[in-house]
Amino acid sequence: MNRSSDRWLAYFLILPVVAAVLAFVLGPTWDVATLSLTQFVMGQERGFGTLVNFEALWADPVFGTVVVNTAIWILGGTVFCVLTGLAVGAYLAIDSKVTTALRALILLPWVLPDVVTAMAWKWMLHGQVGVIGDAFTRVGLSDQPISFLGDPDLVMWMLVIVLVWRKMPLVALILCAAIRSVPAEQIEAARMDGANAFQRFRHVILPNISFSLTAVTVISMIWITAEFTLPWVMTGGGPANSSQIMSTYIYQQSFQFFNWGVGSAMSVVNLVFLMAVVGLYLYINRRSWAAGGSK
Amino acid sequence: MNQSSRPFYWMALSLIGVVIAAYILFPIFWLVLASFKTTGELASLPLTFWPQAPTIEAYTALFDETSQSSQLLNWPTLISNSFIVAVSSTILVVFFGTLAGYAFSRLHFPGRDLILGGLLISRMFQGAALLLPTYRLMNSLNLQDSLLGLILLYSAFGLPFATWIIASSLREIPFELEESAMMDGASRLQSMVRIVLPLATPALITAAMWHFVGAWSEFAFASILMESSDNKTVTIGLASFVELFTIEFNRVGAAATLVAMPIMVVFFFGQRYFTRGLLAGAVKG
Repeated sequence: MNRSSDRWLAYFLILPVVAAVLAFVLGPTWDVATLSLTQFVMGQERGFGTLVNFEALWADPVFGTVVVNTAIWILGGTVFCVLTGLAVGAYLAIDSKVTTALRALILLPWVLPDVVTAMAWKWMLHGQVGVIGDAFTRVGLSDQPISFLGDPDLVMWMLVIVLVWRKMPLVALILCAAIRSVPAEQIEAARMDGANAFQRFRHVILPNISFSLTAVTVISMIWITAEFTLPWVMTGGGPANSSQIMSTYIYQQSFQFFNWGVGSAMSVVNLVFLMAVVGLYLYINRRSWAAGGSK
Repeated sequence: MNQSSRPFYWMALSLIGVVIAAYILFPIFWLVLASFKTTGELASLPLTFWPQAPTIEAYTALFDETSQSSQLLNWPTLISNSFIVAVSSTILVVFFGTLAGYAFSRLHFPGRDLILGGLLISRMFQGAALLLPTYRLMNSLNLQDSLLGLILLYSAFGLPFATWIIASSLREIPFELEESAMMDGASRLQSMVRIVLPLATPALITAAMWHFVGAWSEFAFASILMESSDNKTVTIGLASFVELFTIEFNRVGAAATLVAMPIMVVFFFGQRYFTRGLLAGAVKG
């Protein structure tokens, strides 16, 4: 076949996809970067090449809260997603009718729209008539209703709990697939040598799935950094900014306060953080990318 | 791994399964139950599990022109907008994703793997950081507050993953099949449509389902772009219920159930395609 005509056909076929990504992802990335270096006065652009937006972001008293909350959100969320995902994944890897049925069911939280999830949990965590608070009082853990989402000390952790419900299933399924691909002979050999279930998990299964475990940890960080709808609909960053994270702060500054300077500066900080995590992901996957972008 | 036939082992296994299933299903179940309760029942303690006087009042209120909440947003409009946007962008994504997927899996050209990798990485940046510049872009294109704008945006966001799923599935189809068709005088297009596409249908369904679910569920970008109530989508409608939260939760539950319904239908009928897409490449971002 004619190689040169092949090449032009290929460029023609991929043109729509490449153009769409350039226009709607790369272009906006560039735009927000330049915007963050532009000074705004009363919504009018006044001069490029300034760091005033980053200075304003740094000077905002909420910024410190945002950093701490984002750390809880991303690190707490990732750690709990991966730990529970590993436990559930190990359970799902067992051969049984029960686990086979669950493997199909467990993805449900993952496909449910975020707004629906947010409403369902907001209702369960309701301060007066929430079913979780009600259960707490019934078993005697608390003698008065707990305002889970109204308490500044609790709210971030409540969001992390909902996040784990939402994201853990996929982590569990990926790790389940990894555990199931561990060679059965290795596990059998360990059993013959007298290793108990825990030892087999620790010394045979874990080393075999270490690559999947690392990859899924980093990819979870990327998913969780991108998550906006869940916290926004559940708390709107409140009460009094106590659950404000990077993504909700960007939304609030840009579209509620129309403070594009600070909004774009926070967006750039978000993008730089994402680039660092994506860089880490690419580094971990360097062999599989080098092998041809396929697997 | 299952070697043991001891009843204790089986019981423990089943018990854990029941706990996990309850954990997954309870929030959804509780929400649906609330939609059939009356506001009085929802606001009083002790809480009831099953609705004491089951009613579909909350659902009819959503579609009732004269009721207070539907004056703000018209649910039939929201639902049809969401369907238009999700279905149109799914068609675009599968069509252009198939073209590009064919090129990435069948043709050789400089930069092929680098471009495909770049497309996949671009997915990882589609988050809150792009809200502000996307708003500016759509305004400058005069596509803000328009269903067409939202269709184009969602298509752009969904194309890389669809391309990747389709490309990796086409790679598994032996090139010899196509080659022999071309030997017999079929053009490249004919061999693609008659030989390759039928074999790739499962991958196309997977790509379509993943995109439909994502587009139907999207909230952030829709909420900043759609200003007039004629153009809003179901997720915006549901989120706007935050104000009515405590007083009329049955309506929130009814609206949430309606929003979740198409997704649940797609999920239960397309179970195997979902898992396929997941194992094919969800880890790629």
